Amino acid sequence: MVSLVQTLILGLQVGALYALMASGLTLIFGVMRVINLAHGAFAILAAFLTFTLWRNLGMDPILSIPVVMAVMFAIGWLVYVLVIRHVRGAHVSMTVLATFGIALVLEGAMGFIWGNTSTAVRTSYTDASLSLGPLYVPQAMLITAAIAALVIGGLYLLLNYTWTGRAIRAASTNEGGALLVGVSVATVAALTFAIGVATLGAGGAMLSTIYPFLPGTHYQWIARLLAIVVLGGLGSLPGAILGALVIGVGEMAATNYLGAAWPVAVPFLVIIVVLITRPQGILGTRLREDAVA
Amino acid sequence: MRKITALRAIVGIAAIALAASGCTADGPANSDTATIGASLPLTGEFSQGGLDTQRGYETWVEMTNEGGGLVGKPVKIIVKDDATTQDTAVSNYNNLIAKDKVDLLLGSQSSLLNIPASAVAEKNKMLFVCPSCASPDMFSRGFSYIFFSQQAVASDQAKVFAHWIANLPPDQRPKTAAYPALDDPFAGPAVDGAEKILSAAGIRTVYKDQYPTTTKNFDSVVNAMKDAGAEMVVQGAQFEDGVNMIRAMNRAGYKPSIVFQSSSPTYGQQYLDGVGAQNAEGVFSSASYSPIAKTADNAEFVKRYEQKYGTTPPEDAADGFAAAQVLAAAVNAVGSYDDQAKLADWLRANIVETVLGPLSWNADGSPKGEFLVGQWQGGVSQVVLPTDVATTDKILRWQGGVI
Repeated sequence: MVSLVQTLILGLQVGALYALMASGLTLIFGVMRVINLAHGAFAILAAFLTFTLWRNLGMDPILSIPVVMAVMFAIGWLVYVLVIRHVRGAHVSMTVLATFGIALVLEGAMGFIWGNTSTAVRTSYTDASLSLGPLYVPQAMLITAAIAALVIGGLYLLLNYTWTGRAIRAASTNEGGALLVGVSVATVAALTFAIGVATLGAGGAMLSTIYPFLPGTHYQWIARLLAIVVLGGLGSLPGAILGALVIGVGEMAATNYLGAAWPVAVPFLVIIVVLITRPQGILGTRLREDAVA
Repeated sequence: MRKITALRAIVGIAAIALAASGCTADGPANSDTATIGASLPLTGEFSQGGLDTQRGYETWVEMTNEGGGLVGKPVKIIVKDDATTQDTAVSNYNNLIAKDKVDLLLGSQSSLLNIPASAVAEKNKMLFVCPSCASPDMFSRGFSYIFFSQQAVASDQAKVFAHWIANLPPDQRPKTAAYPALDDPFAGPAVDGAEKILSAAGIRTVYKDQYPTTTKNFDSVVNAMKDAGAEMVVQGAQFEDGVNMIRAMNRAGYKPSIVFQSSSPTYGQQYLDGVGAQNAEGVFSSASYSPIAKTADNAEFVKRYEQKYGTTPPEDAADGFAAAQVLAAAVNAVGSYDDQAKLADWLRANIVETVLGPLSWNADGSPKGEFLVGQWQGGVSQVVLPTDVATTDKILRWQGGVI
């Protein structure tokens, strides 16, 4: 029983990190219908920025989150203007190729700037835990869960209680209608992409305190993040959170009860099962093009 | 008509000349240069070791050229990045042989990459000295050009350590052990070899599992080992997985008295940066190299490496340097590299002095020696076993306490 509860604690905490990282991916898809394969590379970029602030300025990774988010917002906007804007209305395969290209460019740039060696951020709380009787709660993961709640909560408030959020949701629901009522869809799209990348900045910052990373590790992250948003329902923020928690607990349980080789298979099994049984994901809604004619 | 014939002749001669110049361009840039080719994982999962090995190769090239070169020729090395993928490693070696027309080869880093890469060398009848190819699978294929330039294959890597644990007094000896290992041709056999010896000594296996190279989160693995009550952890690790494991053990408050990791702790300062010096304290590893060992050219190598890179050479750099020393010893003894079968025959019959110590080989190219056992103590990587070559007589438990 203790083992099961411990597995749940660890799984939910890892799931919180996944949710923080996946929220931007699902937001970008929801509004722009762009599957951003560069999302994992942006996460590693945020981790390297955090590492640089920590090593060169002694800035704690938690305190560096606003700085990293601001920089990632600017990078997101720039990438949108330079690349995404030109392929946004194109077939989905074009956006997949374009964002994959961005991921490769980012990987090369990170290797050039920071090198292709394993990097880690270590602070007083990165390897410490709180004890709860026979159970333990890793501090860095607990902090990550709190930050995930703050950032995702902020995103929820932004989307639901601000004019900008309403514009984003309007563009997401009906682009033509949004244009008719005066929403600048192009600006909203740029803003959405930048916000999606900025929220990932917080995820990347916390990732750096939990796992070592190097430029090439973005492939592993994008595979997992795609599985999460597919499970939750592409474009659904609550779905991404739910999907992240399910994958997190699933990976931990698979390691504990099936073997250490299984967690890698969990995201891919999830994608296969979801595509067969519920293509729109747990909380996703069927799009018009899904409907049977 | 005569004009046309002359024109055809000129065109023909020009074509032949172009073809000939093309052949020259594809050949060695300069036949007076000894060109060595290698593929290494400079990016991807094994890039840490790949970059260190590259530095070892390049340090050797620099020192060799200053010393007059190889059989009187200056040495040039071409290193290609295989991005830690087997297909690219194979493609790189094919290109090095067919397009770059290198004279000699040095191996890649890790058994995972060297197993397919060495088949290319064997097919082309070229000597292949690899600095990191400890898997027994390397030497079970009947190849005759492959040589591993460390002291022992993976299945014997933890042998000295395991025998030492098995011979501890019963009150000091752990009763249970966990064996997590990377799913890799090198890491698995290293752990299997240790388990065989320790099980025979009555140390019960309470956890054993393999994880893929992409595994990032070790919390659950640690949770399982902790639940199983393992008093000792013997991990078959590369680099990042070893760091992740130690960090996860700290998070879980899991403190086995003995921790052995096959490769990760040998990455020097990078390992200390990854886990923290206090968490490295007492971690055992199988070591092929010590920077303070009095072996052939080691003092010069360490000095040059520190000048070039500002840090003490980690094990993979020394392994790379030693592989090049082995290659050079064979070439110098034979007097040329035209007949590479002769180079292989010479290595099978002789002992080569390297920065790792003396190396010699079986007929299948596997080494005949035994690994050293290293341990982090006070931020310094010491050799603790065998006792006759130890750099300290103190042996610690993990995170402190003398055994």
